[in-house]
Amino acid sequence: MRGFTTPADRVILAAFVLSVCLVGALIAIPVAHAIQLSFYEAQSFVSERRFVGLANYARVLADPAFWKAFALGLGFAVIAMGAQLVLGIGFALLLNQPLRGQALVRGAVVLPYLLPTVVIAVTAHWLLDGAFGLFTHWALQLGFGRPAWYDHPVSAALLVIIASVWTWTPFVTITFLAGLQGIPSSLYEAARVDGAGAWMRFWHVTLPMLKPVLVVVILLRSIWMFNKFDIVWLLTKGGPLGATEHLPVMAYRRAFNQFDVGGGAAVATLSFLVLSLMIAVYFWRFPLDDKAAS
Amino acid sequence: MFEHRKPIAVPAPANSPPHDPQRRRLTAAVGAAAVSGLGAPFVHAQQKTIRFLNCEPGRDNVRALRVAAAEYERLSGVRVVIDTVPPDQAYDKLQASISAGTPYDVSGLIFVAHVVLLAEAGKLVPLTKLINKHKWGPSILFPVKGEQYWYPYDYNFCWMYYRKDLYEQKGLKVPTSWDQMLDNAKALTDGQRFGVSHPIGSNGAGQWMSIGYMWADGVKLLDDRWNLALEAPDMRKRFASYLDFMKKLSGSMPPGMSQALFATVIGQYTGNQAAMVPYAGRLMEVIEDRAPELAAKTGFFMYPDSAGKSVAVNHGYDGWVVVNTPMREESLKFMDWFTENQYINFLHTAPLHFQPPRLDVYDDRRWRAHPLIEKHGELVDFMRSILTRKDVIIRSVDTEGPAPDVRPGKMFESFGIMEAVQNRLLKDMPAAEATDLAVRKLKAALG
Repeated sequence: MRGFTTPADRVILAAFVLSVCLVGALIAIPVAHAIQLSFYEAQSFVSERRFVGLANYARVLADPAFWKAFALGLGFAVIAMGAQLVLGIGFALLLNQPLRGQALVRGAVVLPYLLPTVVIAVTAHWLLDGAFGLFTHWALQLGFGRPAWYDHPVSAALLVIIASVWTWTPFVTITFLAGLQGIPSSLYEAARVDGAGAWMRFWHVTLPMLKPVLVVVILLRSIWMFNKFDIVWLLTKGGPLGATEHLPVMAYRRAFNQFDVGGGAAVATLSFLVLSLMIAVYFWRFPLDDKAAS
Repeated sequence: MFEHRKPIAVPAPANSPPHDPQRRRLTAAVGAAAVSGLGAPFVHAQQKTIRFLNCEPGRDNVRALRVAAAEYERLSGVRVVIDTVPPDQAYDKLQASISAGTPYDVSGLIFVAHVVLLAEAGKLVPLTKLINKHKWGPSILFPVKGEQYWYPYDYNFCWMYYRKDLYEQKGLKVPTSWDQMLDNAKALTDGQRFGVSHPIGSNGAGQWMSIGYMWADGVKLLDDRWNLALEAPDMRKRFASYLDFMKKLSGSMPPGMSQALFATVIGQYTGNQAAMVPYAGRLMEVIEDRAPELAAKTGFFMYPDSAGKSVAVNHGYDGWVVVNTPMREESLKFMDWFTENQYINFLHTAPLHFQPPRLDVYDDRRWRAHPLIEKHGELVDFMRSILTRKDVIIRSVDTEGPAPDVRPGKMFESFGIMEAVQNRLLKDMPAAEATDLAVRKLKAALG
């Protein structure tokens, strides 16, 4: 094996060691600490802890609220990710066409992704306020009365999904746009010669060529949506009646509000395990290798 | 006592070999840099520092604390560093500081359960001597094992405000029963304006502003043995009646109240979108600041019961704790000085909102001299009457039970009461069924 002899090698080694240290300090240690906490009963982070083994897990798994939160999180991730994917690919295809002011349009599409989540949440609150919200005002003018946007479990969940889709679709769009620009035009010309229409070209040329991007985007978006805390917390805080309380919100509330640090840590650990398992299955089913692109 | 910074002397080695001038200059520079770097902690250690975690983020609150800190440093030489966080983040930040080994020395806290947990974990210093210097109003001291760990500065009661001008226009009287409240709310609902506004979300706003009617009607959550009193048939019946009352009242409330917070209600009242809202003195301060034309048109009353026989306010409370750190003696000295010399100044930063829990303050001319306290004498007398009237019920979910404890805090954070309200209002669930769910939820929280 070749040693790290050249200056460039040593820089690479230093960067590798630094990144391992950073990952260790910022991710591995907190995760290990959270897992450790899940085996203890503690009412606060400064109270005396009592080792209870797997009791927190047994308690959490026996709680119907946990399974409801799990199903909600899964549904939220699947629906939001699916919508982002469909819209993202659609916008990428549109933006890949030659049009006037292309750079401006592409820049504008990214805007929602650049906004801080808290700005999006506050804007949504003002637009949908039951007394003076702009959408409420329009609904009134159109004769729909005053919709209780946040008061119904379904509409509250839909609001969270819509806000998520609006915010993170640009990421999918930009990623696919980059992928689209890497597809050789000769493939489309060959398909045209063979008599393939627009749909056939998309199905048999574009989609297979985008598969590596698709695999990564689905993976990333699923993880991010399943773990998404900020938008849910800022928009609904998990309400009404737990309609938007998925596992991250549940873990936070247990650990930081409900005097159940061990239970919160157990929920977070279970969420982490479930997600890891789903990622493993996903990679097993859709391996990321060179063959996928060919 | 102020300790002067001592110059650090660096003796030259007696047997140091001769060097050329350039090397000597370099050595001196490196030596000075090293000594200054290493000496920095020593120099800093000369001045004692108290770290104060403030949970009142208002501009005036912070200003008053900083001025007090500067004054204390001038008098004693002890530096007081003020960090500020929103009230609901104080406990998390304090815990984090303790866990990190750099605890704050003094902190604001807004929840009895947090004081109890920290005291039981040996993280707090008793303030009993400071507390015993004064007489206090009812239901504001929360002793743990006979010691006081918490110095209150605010009662934070919640009552109802109403628009007097609209009442006059509609020929209404201040409600003394639920039926009158419903009639008034209905009469005041008019196109763009709603009769009344109550947050109903699973949050602190809902539990502070919307359950006073239930307390007025005699609902108790815990008995003297920490059993869930709400399980008793009589209490279930009363609670179910409260839920039905809220259902009827919701017809006069704006939609979206499951997401409403403290600021929502203030905005609705000052923006002429609600004719009756719950709040403490802060609402009048905001009115004076942003909608002064409403000040003379605003009246207040306590939450009525169903039969017109009793009234209630929802409890709030805010206070400070001294943390068990190496600076505890200095912190106690500071708190002694602060509470004797700066307490009123601090109360004046929210003159109508910070209702004094210390009884001597009400007769103190310095406190009464604030222009807003002078102007709103009627409101101040009303606030004081909460402490003196025997017929006023003062309750809150987190202070239920025979003594300060974490268990009511767990009930509070389970939001079982607010979920019952939401089940009744948003899902149209029968009151008895919503009550059953609340009982189950609160029982699970009690453990």
